[in-house]
Amino acid sequence: MLRYALRRVPSALAVLAIASVVVFSVLHLAPGDPAVLAAGPDASAKTVSAVRHQLGLDAPLPQQYLTWLGGVLTGDLGDSYVRGVPVATLIGNGLGNTLELTLGAIVLAVLLGGLAGLVLGVAKGRLVRGATAAATALAFAIPPYVSGVLLVMVLAITHRILPAGGHVSVLTDPEIGVQYLIMPALALALPAAAVLARFLSTSIRRVFGEDYIRVGTAKGLRRRRIVLCHALPNALPPVLTVLGIQIGQMLGGAIVVEAIFAWPGVGQLIIDSLKSSDYFVVQNLLLITVTVFVVLQTVTDLLHAAVDPRLRME
Amino acid sequence: MTGQRGQPARRTVLAAGLSLGAGLLNTACRSAVAEQQGSGGGPRHGGTLHMVQGTDILPAFLLSQINPNFSVSRTVFNTLTELDHRTLRPRASLAKSWRVSDGGRTYVFQLRDDVTFHSGRPFGPDDVVFVLDHLTKDTTSSQVKSVAQQVTSAERTGDHEVTVGFGKAVSNVWDMFEMMVLIDRESVTDLASGREIIGTGPFTVESYKPGSSISLKRNRHYWKPGRPYLDGIEIAIAAQSSSAVASLRSGQTHLALDLSPLDAAGIRDRPGFRLVQSDAHDLTYYIGANVEVPPLDKVEVRQAVAWAIDRKRVLAQALGGIGRPSSLPWSPGTAAWDPDRAAAYTLDPDKAKRLLRQSGAADAKVDLYYSNTLATNAAIAQIVQANLEDVGLICRLQPKQDAEYQKMFVSGKIPGLFVNGHGFGQLTPSTLVKGSWPFNAQQNASNFRDPEYSRLADEIWTGKGDALTTAYRDLNQLFLEQQFVIDLINSTHTYAIQASLKGLAWTMYDGIDLDHAYLA
Repeated sequence: MLRYALRRVPSALAVLAIASVVVFSVLHLAPGDPAVLAAGPDASAKTVSAVRHQLGLDAPLPQQYLTWLGGVLTGDLGDSYVRGVPVATLIGNGLGNTLELTLGAIVLAVLLGGLAGLVLGVAKGRLVRGATAAATALAFAIPPYVSGVLLVMVLAITHRILPAGGHVSVLTDPEIGVQYLIMPALALALPAAAVLARFLSTSIRRVFGEDYIRVGTAKGLRRRRIVLCHALPNALPPVLTVLGIQIGQMLGGAIVVEAIFAWPGVGQLIIDSLKSSDYFVVQNLLLITVTVFVVLQTVTDLLHAAVDPRLRME
Repeated sequence: MTGQRGQPARRTVLAAGLSLGAGLLNTACRSAVAEQQGSGGGPRHGGTLHMVQGTDILPAFLLSQINPNFSVSRTVFNTLTELDHRTLRPRASLAKSWRVSDGGRTYVFQLRDDVTFHSGRPFGPDDVVFVLDHLTKDTTSSQVKSVAQQVTSAERTGDHEVTVGFGKAVSNVWDMFEMMVLIDRESVTDLASGREIIGTGPFTVESYKPGSSISLKRNRHYWKPGRPYLDGIEIAIAAQSSSAVASLRSGQTHLALDLSPLDAAGIRDRPGFRLVQSDAHDLTYYIGANVEVPPLDKVEVRQAVAWAIDRKRVLAQALGGIGRPSSLPWSPGTAAWDPDRAAAYTLDPDKAKRLLRQSGAADAKVDLYYSNTLATNAAIAQIVQANLEDVGLICRLQPKQDAEYQKMFVSGKIPGLFVNGHGFGQLTPSTLVKGSWPFNAQQNASNFRDPEYSRLADEIWTGKGDALTTAYRDLNQLFLEQQFVIDLINSTHTYAIQASLKGLAWTMYDGIDLDHAYLA
């Protein structure tokens, strides 16, 4: 197994090396000059030139690349060209906020999707099922940028129950932080909840057709016990697979929700940094993304190899 | 609570759903919204002001006039003097008095002796000397650098006295002292990164989260007795103007800075809100013309463009009526302001067509560039395109990413017309022609170079009396004739506020002044 794991390392490193060159090259070939933006408005050519030298942007590109890579390998991601703040601080703040939003959305998606899925799969009343089906269809059809605006209109402007936007960390002030989190998390969670509900209800109905459910019913088990102890556990595995896919989509969709709710996450950071040609921030963010992907891919390969010895023999 | 045997009761499901909903809507006893609303009543101490602005502050540019820093440049810092809004004469701030001698080449300032930085260190003459020196560094960005570069000596001449000598007497010295925020020399290396933002102003920086928020709290040792009223200020960043509007309308925010003009106009008539317009009028929208690119190298074509544009339509449709049409860069009340000449260009398509025919440029093609991240500029560009097509010029819109646009703009390499906004029309006219890139007489975005322009720029910088008046008149005539900058609308910065916010003020450089602000 160790030998198999070691065989995977060179390819992972090669991918990271190629990715670093591509990310660096693409951003430096893009139009725009960070020195111009870093020099500020109405700056003279002399000031722009001095700032360019100060930032090391007048050095040859290979040298800039090696300087950056050396910093990354030693844990120094450099400073933002425009903000002057360490890139690690910016990314750390943004990443934490995006994860907070996504985690909140996952919790809501599981709660709402699970509840609706149960109702659709188990409830016998046609009215309840019909209303739930309509609600899930609506939640699936409305994209987050529409539901987000509607939520703000109703819960923030018309009724002033929740803040319209902004961010207070749940970790620093849970009582207030949750109130800032609810609307963006809900907007992000609704489509995922609808998908989960549909999959769960279908899965539950399939399980209800199984023999062991009929046996349980024939033995006189209470319906609640059949649902919670037998049907639901067996219906969950395919739903968990879908949940995994939905989490990925929620991370991507967080960019839009962050913009609507002025949530200072990674999405906002990328957009702001691209606008201002703040290469260091974008470079590092993209490289971190690739690294996470490569690590996950490698871990997945190792897990597959662990459960399937044939892979280790290849 | 069960229906049929073993079946979850509908009431149980309903109760669970309602509990979840109630839990979501009422997660806590404290309300994030209620915490941000005043309790009503008259002037009072206390309360936290919640502000929202579109972009993050940039501490590295505190010595420049840039919009994002308007929220901290006067709340965290002070300047030596502040300009009176009506007379444009200097008023005391950290300098309590001054004496000008040697034909305007020597300034002696008596400083207040009761001022300390937020770090606890006393403020003194060495701090003024340091900032003046810092202003002249190559890497320091400032629009009044040209003034600072005239300083030949700056020295401490007493415990609370500083003497500044200039190589020549220039007219915009007070502009520099108005803009020159007095930063702490001991923490200047950490200022650009925002790790240490230390001034002498009414509020201290409690925390700064780059890209997210900045939290200020009352400076208990502020040199103005009993001020400020507010306990603190929370500044949030909302990149979308619509998010800032929602935050304001929800009661979460008391003050929204620089909403897009159309969003601001939408707030204007809502009960419970006010749209305050700065009296500085220092935001002028214009069309720039690269005079090296045909057909814009012909002055008649540039004049034709000026006659072709419907400024009233631009004002109504792109700016929500905030501002006034103007053919000159000056704000009302400034020394070079001339209301008759400011109205020189109005919509006259026939005149525009005639000029185009005379110059042989009828049916010529011209590109119009603008930054696609600025919705107002995009709206103006579309109107200008339609106006130019009306008089026979084929106008192609060229939206660019802001970074690319700025690079082209600063290098003077925009190959055509461009939509932009400029400031510096509100103060001493020489600051505009010496420090503002679109107008800089030595080198500018339009590549317009003219010995007469350079002469006039120097004349209004150093001239006095009747000669100065004559130079202003001649300069206005030159602007109107040459049209390398085709001014459209003299607008202004806006503050959208809840009616409960009282005492809001600002400097002539639009730094928010909250010394006397309170939540009623």
